[in-house]
Amino acid sequence: MSDNIRDAIAGEEVRVDYNSIEQTLAELWRIEKTEGEAVTRAALWNVVAHASSSEHHTSASEILGRASIAVPQRTIVIRTNPEGPPEMAAWISANCHLLGAGKQVCSEEISIVAGGDRVERVPPLVHALLIPDMPVAFWWVGDLPHENEAYVRSLLGPADRLIVDSVHFDSPEDLGLVQRTGERTSTPPADLNWVRLDEWRAAAASVFDPPSMRGRLKTLREIRIIANVTDIAYFGESVEALYLASWLVAQAGMGVDDSGNIPDLSCTFEFRPADTRGILRVDLEMDGSSAAIERHPERCVLTTNVDGQLNVPEALLRTSRKKVDELIVRELKQPESDRLLMKVLPSAIRIARRRSAA
Amino acid sequence: MTTVALEPNPLREGLEQERVPDASCLVIFGASGDLTHRKLLPALYSLAHDGLLPAGQTIIGFARPDYGDEAFRADIRKACNEFARTKPVDDAVWENFAKGLFYVQGDFTEPEAYNRLNQKLTECDRTRGTGGRRIYYLAVPPNFFPVIAELLGAEGMVTDPERGGPYTRVIIEKPFGHDLATARELNRVAVTTFRERQVFRIDHYLGKETVQNLLVLRFANGIFEPFWNRQYIDHVQLTVAESIGVEKRGPYFESAGIARDIIQNHMMQLLSLVAMEPPVAFEADAVRDEKVKVVRALRDFPAGHESSSAVRGQYTAGSVLGEAVPGYRQEERVSPTSRVETYAAMKVFVDNWRWADVPFYLRAGKRLPKRVTDISIHFRPAPYPLFKKVAGVRTQPNVLAIRIQPDEGIALKFDSKVPGPTVRTAPVTMEFRYATSFGAEPPEAYERLLLETMLGDSTLFARRDEVETAWAWLDPLLHVWEESPEPPDPYPAGTWGPPSADAMIERDGRRWRRP
Ligand SMILES: NC(=O)c1ccc[n+]([C@@H]2O[C@H](COP(=O)([O-])OP(=O)(O)OC[C@H]3O[C@@H](n4cnc5c(N)ncnc54)[C@H](OP(=O)(O)O)[C@@H]3O)[C@@H](O)[C@H]2O)c1
Repeated sequence: MSDNIRDAIAGEEVRVDYNSIEQTLAELWRIEKTEGEAVTRAALWNVVAHASSSEHHTSASEILGRASIAVPQRTIVIRTNPEGPPEMAAWISANCHLLGAGKQVCSEEISIVAGGDRVERVPPLVHALLIPDMPVAFWWVGDLPHENEAYVRSLLGPADRLIVDSVHFDSPEDLGLVQRTGERTSTPPADLNWVRLDEWRAAAASVFDPPSMRGRLKTLREIRIIANVTDIAYFGESVEALYLASWLVAQAGMGVDDSGNIPDLSCTFEFRPADTRGILRVDLEMDGSSAAIERHPERCVLTTNVDGQLNVPEALLRTSRKKVDELIVRELKQPESDRLLMKVLPSAIRIARRRSAA
Repeated sequence: MTTVALEPNPLREGLEQERVPDASCLVIFGASGDLTHRKLLPALYSLAHDGLLPAGQTIIGFARPDYGDEAFRADIRKACNEFARTKPVDDAVWENFAKGLFYVQGDFTEPEAYNRLNQKLTECDRTRGTGGRRIYYLAVPPNFFPVIAELLGAEGMVTDPERGGPYTRVIIEKPFGHDLATARELNRVAVTTFRERQVFRIDHYLGKETVQNLLVLRFANGIFEPFWNRQYIDHVQLTVAESIGVEKRGPYFESAGIARDIIQNHMMQLLSLVAMEPPVAFEADAVRDEKVKVVRALRDFPAGHESSSAVRGQYTAGSVLGEAVPGYRQEERVSPTSRVETYAAMKVFVDNWRWADVPFYLRAGKRLPKRVTDISIHFRPAPYPLFKKVAGVRTQPNVLAIRIQPDEGIALKFDSKVPGPTVRTAPVTMEFRYATSFGAEPPEAYERLLLETMLGDSTLFARRDEVETAWAWLDPLLHVWEESPEPPDPYPAGTWGPPSADAMIERDGRRWRRP
């Protein structure tokens, strides 16, 4: 066993009996304490990632390994396949990184793979492995499952936060499912596509910070958004732009009607095929003033420009295309998920339905 | 005249930066100086880098050398590349930041220079939307404060919303006077031109995350406050240790000494935050009202017996972190017969209901073994020594240690049973470290403080009465030291101060904690 444990400390995945995961972890840290050099174990979160394929499993494990540097966490990655053979297996490993002055900070990762009827045993096992008194984030990797709601609900039982990434969604109905989940549980869901908008929101907000601009948001008449997409036919790639438009509409005090139209406001999207996705430019027309926010393709900055008789200098915000682990870190650093998303979702869904009907 | 509050910007809802200052002109007096290069402009650049400065924010350097805007920008870029938290400088951010960076040449005593400065300010209002809002940062030796304040007033460069204009704020740096009389004089001069609410006295300790966390630790948690009093606390120790000597600041230090340099300001702030009562609100005056009450409650040093509760020292040659270093009297531009203290230790009492007879041991010094700022709360022992007669058991009092810098964190020491068939105990610590739990590097103190000034929130700045009360308490001791024929007690560089400091605390049956 000791050799195994040494491998786990070295970051290797070591297969363990799923009945004794916690004991094996305790042994791992005991050995590290007596033999290792200045190791600190830390955790601020329990993060449970749910994957349905081995590629998703591998990438979730890598992403959370990187995220654990900024947000130390107990990571539990589960992969289930109800159609597979009735088996269950578990692995552990340590995610360690150097803090400087030879100090190491480590947190642990547990992987559980289950198939057939063993899948039902996963939720209670996961619940038993959560560190007490630490919040639980549940990351649903990939598209949302519309089937098997009971299983999903039992997994989500102890979750303080549900994280999804709508870039992988294939229809507006997936957004509807996120909204329903948010309405039924006490914690609003978090969407990494919403987190991707942070800089765009800050840049748009900066347009209306000067006292002379403060009242103009209410007079918004037109929104034009240009975005790059890698697959023009895939719904998920449009969600970021839909969120941005819906947010501007909601915060301007306007509403989207059931047919997806916004009275007195024109809202258009232009999606351009490209190698990398992301919003490029937003134009806003208000009474007597217009503003543009643009991303410079190489310089990783957003610039805002307000024309008209107003004399507001160009502002600039650094931005970069965030990797998924950076988005997860951002989300986990928030004391709670952003309730604004729940305000924006219904409008985004309506606009999305109108667009897919067209 | 009442000012009309602006409606909030709805797009800021939920964003990390919920409050954004309106663009202003920040004028730095002393723009060729050390503070500007090492701290102020690097901090402003990092704020710009993180997107925290408003569009149009303008910075004007004012000093004697004959720079143009471009030469000033090049000089500042170099400084940012060396000292900014967010170094190296990012081209795109710099380009935009530099557009708002200007230089005006002049002498602080020359009225004409203020005229030039004012013209530049008016031009910036027009081109950069700064709306007449002014922040004057006086990064200058304190003797220039009166003339700068007077000329700013005379040139009509100070306005106030209460008198119908945009705001003017002034930031001043320590030292806030040399003693009570000079501090009062400085404050008197300030109020001839500015109102107290316009004056922001920087104590950069208050910009440190860990110092602000003292308030959170005490008042956002339910478990500490019930123990935070004389019933449970035996004593408190505060240490501000520096491993460096006086470096190039010999002349300044010769006129100050460690008590003026550290204890009168930084240490008083730490002491106030540890000992204050809960404020009624987390607002500038509510917090500062409680802090000043602590300083007001400090017991006077016993007249004629000051040395029983205050010790001073001066370092002699020695070695620090493996390097041989000279003694204080051999430092550059320091008198070879100097009697200025480079170390001070004090036992002080906060005479109020909560802290009656609980000693607070303070020590600050230069050329100590390492750089560390640390507060430790030493609890009383358990009321009944249950394990006293058991061999192998030596219980120790609990200690809550708050590390302000470096390696910021909080540790609680308590006794635990050593596993085994007999009852043996050993002290263990429960530790929280900022770096481990939160990873990212916190913003520099000056970043936070500059942003707070732009927002007009003075919670993290020292108020006039805090400064004057601290001087009123310390002045008599400084006077006794100055009059005393005895020189400070020597201590070799690289040690924890003179033996007399150990003797002072040991007389009370206690020891300095090794931080
Ligand atoms: N440096 C620090 O880390 C630090 C820390 C805490 C507090 N402080 C306080 O901050 C203030 C500034 O410190 P510092 O270290 O930056 O001092 P410094 O390096 O001596 O800078 C002083 C500045 O004032 C200018 N100046 C002096 N006389 C002038 C005059 N008659 N007209 C125009 N400009 C004049 C100097 O310009 P020239 O280049 O022409 O001489 C220089 O730019 C002091 O009150 C100090 O106690 C400094």
